[in-house]
Amino acid sequence: MKSLLVEDVSKRYLVPRAQKSQRTETRLDRLRGFFSIPLARDLLGAQELWALKDLSFDVEHGTVLGVIGGNGAGKTTLLKVIAKVIAPTAGRVQGRGRVVSLLELGAGFDDEATARENIFMNAAINGIPRAVALERFSDIIDFAEIQDFVDTPLQYFSSGMYLRLAFSVAINMQPSILLADEILAVGDLSFQERCLQKVRELARETGLTVLFVSHDMEAVSRICDRVIWIKDGALHRAGEPEDVVTEYQNATWELLASSDKPEAKGRSHAGRYGEIVDVKLLSADGREIGSPPKWEDVYVRIRFRTYRARTQVRCAFDLFSKGILVFRSVQPELIWVVPETVYEALVKIPANLLSETNYTVNVGVTLIRAEREEHALVVNRALTFMVYGAEASEAASGSLHRMGVIDPTLEWSMERKVDVVRA
Amino acid sequence: MSSAPDGALGATGVAPELWLIEPRQHGVVERVRELWRYRYLWWYFAAETMTSQFKRSKLGWLWLLGRVAGPVGLNSIIFGSVLGVSSGGVPYFLFFLCGTTTWVLFERSLLFVTRSLEQNRRLVTKVYFPRLILPLAAVAPGLLYLLILLIVIVGTVIYFHRQHGVWYVTLRPELLVSVAAILVSLIFTVAVGLWTSVLQARYRDIRYGLRYVMPFWFYFTPIIYPVSTLPEHLRWVVAINPMAPVVEAFKWGTLGAGHLTLGSVVTSLSLIALTLITGAWFFNREEAASIDKL
Repeated sequence: MKSLLVEDVSKRYLVPRAQKSQRTETRLDRLRGFFSIPLARDLLGAQELWALKDLSFDVEHGTVLGVIGGNGAGKTTLLKVIAKVIAPTAGRVQGRGRVVSLLELGAGFDDEATARENIFMNAAINGIPRAVALERFSDIIDFAEIQDFVDTPLQYFSSGMYLRLAFSVAINMQPSILLADEILAVGDLSFQERCLQKVRELARETGLTVLFVSHDMEAVSRICDRVIWIKDGALHRAGEPEDVVTEYQNATWELLASSDKPEAKGRSHAGRYGEIVDVKLLSADGREIGSPPKWEDVYVRIRFRTYRARTQVRCAFDLFSKGILVFRSVQPELIWVVPETVYEALVKIPANLLSETNYTVNVGVTLIRAEREEHALVVNRALTFMVYGAEASEAASGSLHRMGVIDPTLEWSMERKVDVVRA
Repeated sequence: MSSAPDGALGATGVAPELWLIEPRQHGVVERVRELWRYRYLWWYFAAETMTSQFKRSKLGWLWLLGRVAGPVGLNSIIFGSVLGVSSGGVPYFLFFLCGTTTWVLFERSLLFVTRSLEQNRRLVTKVYFPRLILPLAAVAPGLLYLLILLIVIVGTVIYFHRQHGVWYVTLRPELLVSVAAILVSLIFTVAVGLWTSVLQARYRDIRYGLRYVMPFWFYFTPIIYPVSTLPEHLRWVVAINPMAPVVEAFKWGTLGAGHLTLGSVVTSLSLIALTLITGAWFFNREEAASIDKL
C-alpha cells in the first residue's frame, strides 16, 4: 500500500528582480535603495524561480526514504509542501494519516516555555486533543530522558536534551509520515541508535513512513531503505541507497574536480549563508602539494566567507582512509567573522602521523547565527592526497607500518629492571 | 476530503484518513471544520499574544492598567473639563468611558490581528496549522482591555451613585444591545484583520498605515462627542463609518443616550458583513501565497 504519492509537484517562487546581489550591496547602495521611488522596483517585475519542477515519486508504507541532493535542489521545499507549510504551484500530493515534521530543530518550540508547556503546545499544533497529549506525556518524557527537567524552560536545555525532546515529541504524535531534515543524523550515537530503533519499530507496527533529508551520505546509506536524489527540483535517480549514494558522491566529486573556478564548483559548498572558497593542502613553506612526505608537517587550508552579519564559525575536517574515518578535527572555539571577507583556517597535521597511503578530506564549516540557527557548508572529498614514506633509510621496519590508517611515530623505551622481584 | 487527519487512528489499526494537497485552496466550510479540530491552539496563541507584549518588562500586566487609564483620563480632562464638550446630562468621564469601550476593543485588537501572521512567521513557515487561528487568537489582548474597561465602568457607576445618588447605568434589557455591540465590534475587528494580516505579511506598510489612519477614524467616530453636536455637513462621515453605530449602540444600551437610527445600523451591519465575507475569501485565497513572502 502506498503511504505517500507525489504527482507532478511544482513550486514556483516569484523573486524580485535584483539589480545587485545582496552580498555585494554596500551601505550606500542600501540607502539609495531606500530613497528610490517606492513601487518602482515592483514594476520591474519578478523573476520566476522553480524550486520544484514536475516532481513525482511514491513511498510504500513502513519505508525510510532518504532524500539527497545538493543545496538548493529542492529537498526542503519538497518536505515543506508535504508538511503543508507551503502550497504547491501545480501537481498534487496524496497521503494517509498524520504528517509530523521535524524540519528544523526547535521549530515549533518556545525557548521561554517549559518542556511541559512545549509538549502540550506541540500536541495542539499537530491537532491532538489535550486529553490524548496527557496520555502520551510520560512516554514523551521517558523517551527523551528529561524526567528531572519537565518544568525547566527550554533555554536551559543542553542541545542534546533539546534534540531528544524534539524527537520524542514528534514520534509520540502518532505520525503516519515523519519528515526529518538531518535530525536523525545528529546527537550522540546511542541516542541516534535509539531513534532508529524506534523508527524501525513504528515502521513495522504502524507502517510509519519516514522521509529523511540529509547531506550525511554515511547516515543515509545506513538508515534508509530507499533513496531518491533530487536535482534542480526534479527526480534524478531513485533506488537502493548504496547505488544512489555512490552515484551521487561520484557526481559531486566530478563537479568539484572538473573546474578550477571556485564559483563553478557546484553548489554543494555554497549556501545562502556562506561559501567555502577553496580547500588546499600546503607544505610548511606555503606551497600547494599533492603528496606530502611523511616526515614533514602539512597544512590543510580552508578559505571561506560568510554572507550574513552576526555569524560565528567553526571549521572542521574529516580525514578518511580506506573507507574509515581516521579522525575528525574540529576548531576548538567559535570565531566571530565579518561577512563578505575571506577567512583562512589553517590546520597543521604533524609530521610522522599519517601512514603511507591515500587520504581524502571532507571539509565542513558550521555557521552559527543568533539563537540556534546552524548552517553547515560541506565539501565532500575536498582533498585527496597520498603520503609517501622514506625510501631506504627507514626500510628496516619493513611492511609492518603500512598496516594502519595512521602511522604515528611514538616514543619507545626499554630498560632492564633489576629491582622488580617476580611475584 | 480532509486536510488534517484525525489523531489516534494510526495506533488503533483503523486506516488513517486520506488527505490531498493541491494548489487550489480548500473551501471556507472545510477551513472552519479544520479550525475546530485545532481549537486548542487558540488558547496557546491567545496567551502568547498577551504575554509577548510585556516580555522583559518589569511592571508586566500593570502596563495594561496604565494603557487603559492614561488615554481615558487624558481625554476626559481635555474634552470634558478643558473644552467642555457636552455629554447630555451624564458625567463626561462616564460618557467617554462608555463611548470608548467598543472602540478600544476594535483599535487595540486590530493592531494585534494585523501583525499576527508576521509575528509568528518563524512558526508559520515551518509548521502547519490553520493560519486562521492566528488572527482569531490575536483579539485576546483586546478582550483583556475590554474586561478592564468594563470593570472601570462598573466602578465609575458605583462611584457616581455615591456622589450624585443616581444610577447612570441600570440592569435593564437594553444592556443586551451593548453586549451585541461588543460582539459586532469583535467581528468587525476580525473582518478587517483578515485583510490587513495577509497584506501585512507582504507589505509592512500596512501597520504604519493603520497607525496613521486610526486617529482620524477615532475622531470621526462619536466617542468624545455626541452625534447631536456634529454639524449637519459632517454627519455623512459618521453615517458611512461602520464603527459609529457600534459605539452609539453601546452607549444606548448602557446610558440610554445614543443616536441610533435604523438606517445607520443597517448600513453599518451590511458593511461589516461585506468586509467579513470578502475578508474570509481574501484570506483563504491569498494566505498561502503570502506565507511564501514572509
